[in-house]
Amino acid sequence: MPKCTINGKEIEVKAGTTIIEAFYGGNERIAHYCWHPGLSVAGVCRLCMVQVEGNPKLQIACNTVITEGMKINNVSEEVKDSVKWGLDFHLINHPLDCPICDQAGECGLQDQYMEFGKYNPEMAEKKVKKHKVVDLGPTVVLDTERCILCSRCVRFTTEVSKTDELGIFNRGDRSEIGTHAGKPLDNKYSLNTVDICPVGALTSKDFRFRQRVWYLKDSDTICTGCSTGCNVKVYYNKEGLFRVKPVYNEKVNGHWMCDEGRDMYKWVNRESRLATGLKRENGALTMAAPGALVKELSATLKKYSPEEIGLVLTGQYTVEEYDTLIGTFASEFKTKNIFHWVNNKESFEAFDGILLRGDKNPNTKGLLKVLDKHGVQALWSDLEKKLAEKKIKVLIVAGPENGFVFPDVDQKLKLFAGAQQVIWLGSYRYEALDAMTNVSHQIPLKTCVEKEGTFINHDGLEQRFKRATTVVGGALTLTEVALLMAGKPLTIPVVKETFVEMSRRQDQVQLEHRKKNEFNFKRGAL
Amino acid sequence: MSVMQNKSEISKWYLPGIFTGLGITMKHLVKNLFNRKDMITLNYPEEKYDYSPRFKGNHVLTVKKDGSLRCTACMLCATNCPAECIKIIASEHEDPAVEKFPIAYEIDILRCVFCGFCEEACPVDAIRMGPEWQTPGLAQSQFIYDINHLAYRPTLKGGVLTHVDDEERHKAGI
Ligand code: SF4
Ligand code: SF4
Ligand code: SF4
Ligand code: SF4
Ligand code: FES
Repeated sequence: MPKCTINGKEIEVKAGTTIIEAFYGGNERIAHYCWHPGLSVAGVCRLCMVQVEGNPKLQIACNTVITEGMKINNVSEEVKDSVKWGLDFHLINHPLDCPICDQAGECGLQDQYMEFGKYNPEMAEKKVKKHKVVDLGPTVVLDTERCILCSRCVRFTTEVSKTDELGIFNRGDRSEIGTHAGKPLDNKYSLNTVDICPVGALTSKDFRFRQRVWYLKDSDTICTGCSTGCNVKVYYNKEGLFRVKPVYNEKVNGHWMCDEGRDMYKWVNRESRLATGLKRENGALTMAAPGALVKELSATLKKYSPEEIGLVLTGQYTVEEYDTLIGTFASEFKTKNIFHWVNNKESFEAFDGILLRGDKNPNTKGLLKVLDKHGVQALWSDLEKKLAEKKIKVLIVAGPENGFVFPDVDQKLKLFAGAQQVIWLGSYRYEALDAMTNVSHQIPLKTCVEKEGTFINHDGLEQRFKRATTVVGGALTLTEVALLMAGKPLTIPVVKETFVEMSRRQDQVQLEHRKKNEFNFKRGAL
Repeated sequence: MSVMQNKSEISKWYLPGIFTGLGITMKHLVKNLFNRKDMITLNYPEEKYDYSPRFKGNHVLTVKKDGSLRCTACMLCATNCPAECIKIIASEHEDPAVEKFPIAYEIDILRCVFCGFCEEACPVDAIRMGPEWQTPGLAQSQFIYDINHLAYRPTLKGGVLTHVDDEERHKAGI
């Protein structure tokens, strides 16, 4: 284990560590663009200059491995000067686009200019004009003028997604990022290039111009798109969620997430949500407060015998919710008619080799575990049989949260039509339910960003997450539903300090702006 | 707050005070009758006071040569506005040289404190504060100014031209 000195601090590092990694390990600030902890070293931006004692010239930190006794600093006047003019060189042809650039507010150029630059530009030449608003594919837009040619995006498509769509074309100051004719940037991980682009050259079509980033607050949570359970950050304000970005977790997703998971905000936002409790009275739907509806249901349910009650669960809820709900049904209503709704049986075990899994539920493992704990072994075929024989009269369904990954909803609803009474619990709005006369109640539930809990991913890893925001006020969690149905009073949960993962992504280019923008983040509104 | 009361005997004699007051009124009446030009008050609304052209009154959104809005929907004015009364919805423009433009721009003028911070924040001279200040309305909705009002109201006679010209800037190599 070689020892080295960084800015006067002596530290010990693993053999083979590069200088920039040691800077990160020691929480020392260093300018850089092209280095990314999840990608190979390119050494093209020449901004991570350091001075190593005994070497005549400055060296780049990202491509120099530490040797025993190295004395490194990046605070000498020489280093500062070289970084400053390196930055000027990057910005020679950079357009003055910040006002219309989506990256402004979290831009590597802005941040590093404030930290390491602050020069007066000395270039008198005209700027080289390049292409703007280049359509790279279904998800990403490129602005070649803003690009600083760090090659992060190119390396991402070669090394991580292994699709090789992007490349650098032309030479010198006319170099541009681009795609080959007829092969657009179209893969399941394409939006990661937007995250790692240190400037606003790559922007997401989905998020483009919808908000300025300083109007958004963020919070860590877990992606519910599939059973991988990627750690993510959701960005929201009082209008709802706007985007989702990955958070580094070595054990789960590394630095990345898939594009599908980023659609999370679409089914969490009000437009696709069941916003109030609905009750069918003499054939007509009336709105009512969800809590009150469930409370009166408690009496209705007690009229049925245990054999006549059935419960259908999807793998979309938290372990805690399953435990109270299944516990309530097993002990209060004495029923073992608890069924697991599997949404896409055929592709359940599929895995694309990077992150995406076929099981489109975040917590199938957790559900199976809780069912096991309460000794429930009912099969789906039992439900079909019992419904056909009219043995089950009242069916309580905790439906999908993420409506996009349940292609079999129509088919399942046809099956549920066989019950005398259906009580639908769910956050996603299904218009078809209004037409089904046997659906007596629709109770809005909270989505994963509105509650805290635990998901168990495909690997058996338990991940706790905290509440981010409220989108639909008055919606309930399954725990609350269970307590109300059992006729018990609601208890206010004790909030513990629960973070998804304490270690943050090691990439100051993306995240450091957050501290500086604290003023605006607190204001958040508008 | 403490209240001072003059409890002396002389304060009970109010008539001298009243006559002094009436005297002042009469003095001004006579002065104004014989010297109407120096009168300070105006016969509003027939007569109006002329403010300096730099007066910060109602907002104007400037336009480009082709008459379209100069605003790029950068939201810097909205960010800077202490009253949070500017609401902008941005969208993608079909011309890549413009790229971003506002499809809605609203100022809630009743919340505005006329501080002029929006004008100062704007990087492209797209919003200015004009000399207009008399803006009556009958309903609250009339005080939420939209693009139509801000840029093209009749008093602006087709819009105020901005001094920032993209073509010139491109030619200069910016
Ligand atoms: S990339 Fe950064 S510096 Fe360049 S225009 Fe966008 S926000 Fe401004
Ligand atoms: S588009 Fe972004 S990530 Fe790709 S080379 Fe340019 S600056 Fe780097
Ligand atoms: S004048 Fe001040 S308060 Fe009024 S819109 Fe502009 S910034 Fe806001
Ligand atoms: S008026 Fe100016 S500051 Fe406000 S959004 Fe438009 S361009 Fe930006
Ligand atoms: S050259 Fe080291 S980070 Fe770019």
